[in-house]
Amino acid sequence: MSKRNIVVLTDVALITCIVQKGIADTIVKAAQDAGAQGATVFYARGEGVRERLGVLGIAVEVEKEIVNIVVATDQIDRIFEKIYLVGNLDTPGMGLMYVTPLEKAATYIPKEIADKLSNEA
Amino acid sequence: MPIIKKIRFGALVREITMHQEEVSYNDLAPKIKQDHDGNDLAYRPTKLQVRSIDIYRLVQPYFKVRLIDQVKAVLPLAIYLILFQLLILRQDVTDSWVITAGLISVIIGLMFFMEGLKVGLMPFGETIGNVLPSKAKLPTVLLIAFLLGIGVTFAEPAIGALKAAGAIVDVESAPYLYSLLNNWSDVLVLMVGMGVGLAAVLGTLRFIYGWSLKPLIYLSLIPTIGLTLYIMTNSELSKMLGLAWDCGAVTTGPVTVPLVLSLGIGIATSAGKGRSSLSGFGIVTLASLFPIVAVELLAIYVSFVETPEMIIREAASVSNLATTINWHEKTPYVELLSGIRAIVPLVIFLIFILIFILKEKIKNPGTIAYGISLSVIGMIIFNVGLSYGLAKLGGQSGGLVPGAFTQVDLVNGSPLYNLTLGIFIAIAFAWILGFGATLAEPALNALGMTVENLTNGAFRKKLLMYAVSFGVGCGIALGILKIIYAIPIAYIVVPGYLLAIVLTYVSTEEFVNIAWDSAGVTTGPVTVPLVLAMGLGFGEAVGAIEGFGILSMASIGPIVSVMATGLWIQWKVKKRREREDKLVESTEGVSP
Repeated sequence: MSKRNIVVLTDVALITCIVQKGIADTIVKAAQDAGAQGATVFYARGEGVRERLGVLGIAVEVEKEIVNIVVATDQIDRIFEKIYLVGNLDTPGMGLMYVTPLEKAATYIPKEIADKLSNEA
Repeated sequence: MPIIKKIRFGALVREITMHQEEVSYNDLAPKIKQDHDGNDLAYRPTKLQVRSIDIYRLVQPYFKVRLIDQVKAVLPLAIYLILFQLLILRQDVTDSWVITAGLISVIIGLMFFMEGLKVGLMPFGETIGNVLPSKAKLPTVLLIAFLLGIGVTFAEPAIGALKAAGAIVDVESAPYLYSLLNNWSDVLVLMVGMGVGLAAVLGTLRFIYGWSLKPLIYLSLIPTIGLTLYIMTNSELSKMLGLAWDCGAVTTGPVTVPLVLSLGIGIATSAGKGRSSLSGFGIVTLASLFPIVAVELLAIYVSFVETPEMIIREAASVSNLATTINWHEKTPYVELLSGIRAIVPLVIFLIFILIFILKEKIKNPGTIAYGISLSVIGMIIFNVGLSYGLAKLGGQSGGLVPGAFTQVDLVNGSPLYNLTLGIFIAIAFAWILGFGATLAEPALNALGMTVENLTNGAFRKKLLMYAVSFGVGCGIALGILKIIYAIPIAYIVVPGYLLAIVLTYVSTEEFVNIAWDSAGVTTGPVTVPLVLAMGLGFGEAVGAIEGFGILSMASIGPIVSVMATGLWIQWKVKKRREREDKLVESTEGVSP
């Protein structure tokens, strides 16, 4: 068996935000300003509201960007609200966002911080 | 004993900062209705009500992104020309308000046109490319490709620049050139279109059978150069050679390249020849060579039908009669009509193919109609801006630059500098113009990325962009020299293409494809009218017979420079391999 120790993070959640192509960068920036560590962006296409906007639908890009941000559960609401405001998600066609609870996550954690936190627990 | 209750601080923060109202999606989700047999009826969403702030938020970025794209294409060039005129030539810009308004309408026109093209015309191209090969036999497919080639040429925005140039040519000194651009201008565009159509047919065949580009280049250069040499023998006719060679550069613009390519690639894919890495290349090359042959043939035909004296007499009688200008020849209507004439036939042709030959329905007719009307409106606005902004500005700078080295009436105190320095300034001006305009061309950036992928990073994107821009800069500078010293164009073009043939022979297939196509990429809808007008104005100021030919130099320049760079890269790679081989051998020798 491996002797390597794995530090697992708990209390994590995933914010997924689907926006028009080209907007992801502003979303990621806002999320990082609100304390998010990083984000993953991938490309997709999707329609729905676009058809219901009539002529205005032309201004809505069919190609989308999906932003995945892993956050601590305490951060959820702050980042959620920031994205909502920056992305103008209250305008039809601008996108959709949801939060998924995650059971656990693992990534690089600086050793001294990991030691300190696991001693406290 | 008090009871201690623990609350997580995060939960507290959450409780006191939340502004979220909860609504159950179950309450929002539509209830599916049933008809009286108990079957579910399909749910049809209602149209959304939008607030004015929503409209603003949706339209503002949509508008801004597209506007900035065109501003980036126009503004740097205009600023360069104006600054050069103010600082080096010390001349005020005349009609500066007209030119500003013209440039703004170029920007807005291009913005509308490009968006209309994307929304209204490209879907046709894609559908036809995908469906046509499975529903029609190869000869029909090729015929349609040919007709499409003609249609897209008429829709090309830069083609209007040729007609605008016709007005400047002096009938006395170059009667055939005048006749081609005025009396025969529609036939001229048709011939160019047939050249493009033929290129589309051959390019498609090349996709299907996987032919090498090299023999096609040799074969199409034989008539091109042969006819050039033949025309050279007729001193009156030889004045139109510059025009013929420039026509090749005009054709490969934002309408032709994507529409013809999507058709060609669609056909090749369904013929089972998949997308090979090079399948996108080649059509552009042929589309810039065949129109030259077509225009040369037309010129020879005209020389049999008309004599110079006839043309001069006719032009004189026309100019006497032309005191009353018809309503459809005045400014807003001319542009209106030419805008409609450029787009509508192409659209009717595409719809005809889609409905009668492919028996397909038009998807999203509303969006398509929006796109088509947008492209017509854009074309009209662009045409207005073309004559009042780009052509005027280019003509003005072109007419003033010779003031640096020679006596020009418009420039006070000219020559401003002594002959050597003045000519040097004029050439430096041309070189920087070509280099900068090319480097800013968005299509070049896209080509650079493709090439970097194709060559596995051996040919860096930056290197290609600089090689092409360097070639165009040198080409335009050479074109200016040609006008100053009245060098016959064949003396430059023939050796230039012969050099290109030699380089083609020794280069590998990839570099040949890249180099020959890079010539077509550089000539966009902003550069072409500007450079054409500049050349004509320049030619007029130095008293040259005609100012054409600069664009053709700008085509041959990058072909040579890119292939030379390609050879240099190959040589470097080979050198490195040899060194590595030696290293391997020597280490093997040490440790058996």
